[in-house]
Amino acid sequence: MSLNRREYLSGSLALGLTSLAGPTFAQDRKATLRHLMGGSVNSLDPSALGAARECYSVTQSVYDRLIGFRRKKVDGQWTFDESVIVPELAERVQRSADGLKLTFHLRPDATWHDGTQVTAEDVKWSLDRMVSAKSNAAAQLSSGSMTKTEQFVIAGPNVVEINLPDANRLALPNLGLPFSVIINSNLAKRHASADDPWALDWLKNNAAGSGAYKVETFRPSEQVVLRRHDNWKGGRDRKIAFFERVIAQTVPEPATRANLVERGDADICLDVQASDIASLRKRGVAKILPISPTNVFTHISFNTKLAPFDNPKVRQAIAAALPYEEMFEAAIFGRGRKLFGANWTGEPPTSAFPLPLPNHTDLTRASVLLAEAGHAAGFDTTFTFATGYAAVAEPIAALIKESLSKIGIRVTIQKVPDAQLFTMQAEKKNLPFYIDTGSAWLPETFYFFWIYYTRDQRWNLGNWTNARIVELVTAARTETDAAKYDAYCKEMIKILAEEAPSVLTFQAAIDGVTTPSIDGFTYHYHRQTDYRDLIRT
Amino acid sequence: MSVWRSIARRFIRRVISSIPAIIGVVIVTFILMRVLPSDPAVFFTSSSVTAGQAEIDSMRKKMGLDQPLPLQLGMYLRDVARGDLGNSLTTNQPVVKDLLRRLPASLELTFVALVLALATSIPLGVLSALRSGSLIDHAVRFLCTIGVCMPTFVSGLMLVYVFYYLLGIAPDPTGRIDIFVASPPDITGFLLIDLALIGDWAGWRSALDNIILPACTMALFVLAPLTRMTRASMLGVLGSEFVRTAKSVGLHSWRIVVVYALRNALLPVLTMAGVVFSTMLGANVLVEKVFSWPGVASYALDALMASDYAPVQGFVLLMAFIFVLVNLTVDVLYGMADPRVSIE
Repeated sequence: MSLNRREYLSGSLALGLTSLAGPTFAQDRKATLRHLMGGSVNSLDPSALGAARECYSVTQSVYDRLIGFRRKKVDGQWTFDESVIVPELAERVQRSADGLKLTFHLRPDATWHDGTQVTAEDVKWSLDRMVSAKSNAAAQLSSGSMTKTEQFVIAGPNVVEINLPDANRLALPNLGLPFSVIINSNLAKRHASADDPWALDWLKNNAAGSGAYKVETFRPSEQVVLRRHDNWKGGRDRKIAFFERVIAQTVPEPATRANLVERGDADICLDVQASDIASLRKRGVAKILPISPTNVFTHISFNTKLAPFDNPKVRQAIAAALPYEEMFEAAIFGRGRKLFGANWTGEPPTSAFPLPLPNHTDLTRASVLLAEAGHAAGFDTTFTFATGYAAVAEPIAALIKESLSKIGIRVTIQKVPDAQLFTMQAEKKNLPFYIDTGSAWLPETFYFFWIYYTRDQRWNLGNWTNARIVELVTAARTETDAAKYDAYCKEMIKILAEEAPSVLTFQAAIDGVTTPSIDGFTYHYHRQTDYRDLIRT
Repeated sequence: MSVWRSIARRFIRRVISSIPAIIGVVIVTFILMRVLPSDPAVFFTSSSVTAGQAEIDSMRKKMGLDQPLPLQLGMYLRDVARGDLGNSLTTNQPVVKDLLRRLPASLELTFVALVLALATSIPLGVLSALRSGSLIDHAVRFLCTIGVCMPTFVSGLMLVYVFYYLLGIAPDPTGRIDIFVASPPDITGFLLIDLALIGDWAGWRSALDNIILPACTMALFVLAPLTRMTRASMLGVLGSEFVRTAKSVGLHSWRIVVVYALRNALLPVLTMAGVVFSTMLGANVLVEKVFSWPGVASYALDALMASDYAPVQGFVLLMAFIFVLVNLTVDVLYGMADPRVSIE
């Protein structure tokens, strides 16, 4: 008890001073990539129910899929390009003329992490697992018309065929997505049981892949350490990954993540707060990566089955009363792409989605529309957003409240925990009017509409039913003629702009941060880091 | 021997009387979690936009949420009795495994913080009692006020900013050990013990470096109650008759203070330390978040944000247990230190 405060403090400082290790540390550090994230990796099986988005960072590198997508440079930044398929485990893919058969020729020299060869049986087992096991993969693959195990056929050594009921445009791209991992079936089967024939439990905590990295340690929701697979064949130009070791670590405090990268103790972080980015940019030590998430959009949606938003005129009135420019400036400091203020009427000039819609702030028009809808005196409603999105949504909510009060609509702002907003979205009750973001892995217009504007399901943003949209989505799904496909998509966008079940606001740019020596970062549709892209210069 | 028998009797009586309280805690937490307006099945199927009602339903079935509430409670109580606290969706692991892995991290941090706090607050309290009303007394009061006023995440972030970011003498505030130095063995889960057991002194040093800042942050926060309690109790004892007698027979002054006064003054501090310990263990969530400390409190908070029932229920149950245990220990220690208590 004789230790006093001064002695103890100076003692602790002295210990701190001697904490840095020697030269082996420096060597090891250079060949190691340390990735920080706010969320956490909770499963090594990307398709497991409940697997967090952060898992894809790890599983994209631990597993191979049959195919991958090319990357391209846009404004000096690498970004994904799903229009060009590149090989991963399959060195060649053929699509039959009618689009009903896909034939995959596997790399004969690809091996699993345990050194055994990747076979057609493994691929067949993995595909069967995707459509049979209780996981997120089955629903995803059904969007590519793959639902039954009979569709997957071993057609010879190292050849697998997939038979499709229709010429679905998304069949092939679906096999390059994070859920479509190819698994070492012999290893997985050893850990399967009668209750769990697809080894769901075992694969959550263990990896059985052929990808660029092997899992060295996995501490769920804390950290994952990966070791390079030196015999990897699925890479770009058949090269192995650059880093010998990757540490993916959960660091909940955003300021700490920014500090670590700035001091060079960590190499890359994609979720840094906007306020930290501003000061990082001022000090200029860390490298800031401007990212344009082209497959993500922010929307303000109405429950179209709930009065007064069941009346399209009310929705159009609000679409005309939203303070677009102010929201764009206040919420994301003008950094991003506007999805409003376009000048077209009727058909849009392009079939790509998301795109700027012809919405403008026009309070006079809004009042007229509101009067036509029979709500000249306005009404009361609630505008909801999730706490996790508050940084963007809070200023927007205040601006909307102010702007709508000018046309007589009295808005109560409701901020709820993320989990609660998800529940409200799924139940379609008590959620008349809200803001959220949407994204799609496959940036095809009809796919966005299929997810967000059709069917009675939780992701239907406006709880909206439109028979023509359903027809168009169904037709576009199997349309091989580019002109016809374009026409379908344009009509969908036209109906969306007119009916306004939801209003698009913007695509917010985000910033990743790396140490200056890191290069090759590529933005992927899944919005996570892919370690295979990165090098140290 | 009768003292020991009395302690043992009290111990058993207290254990039995705490059982209804623990069962009550289990039931209340169970119901509270289900009153929350969020559906965990929906939350945990949200990473996939193609996941629809079928996925939500199979999630619900997996969690047993498709059963009526009384049945769910019955099944939960049965599982708890068997030592199964269910599965966490946040980490995809059994809750028991998660808690056992994370509890040592929290306990180690709390122990170190408590030792730091006691090692600082007792001398400070004694000093301010001896020099009551002096400049030192005011300085100590000021320090305590600062410590208790500043929220732990503020003091934590400030310590990180100064010692890591500006001065660069502290290790990066991300967890229990430098990732590049050592990977800890899993023996007891207490890194300072495990690494000493295997003789990895570089790793031990790293673990110590990593624990200093978070432990200081927590110690700073509990400095006030401990110091003030020591001071008040010390003042009372110093004014008592036996101290006056000791002084009058000419005993050395430090001997009077340390041997006679302090020993008697420590009893209420001991009680306080028990309360402080249990509070720190559950309330250090902000410290755990700031320092990415993989402890039980941040685990429970993450689960709560995701309305993941099982981990939150498991955490509350664990805390209830620890609270009972700590109170028991304090009682036993108290009984040993002051025989009058045991008669009751």
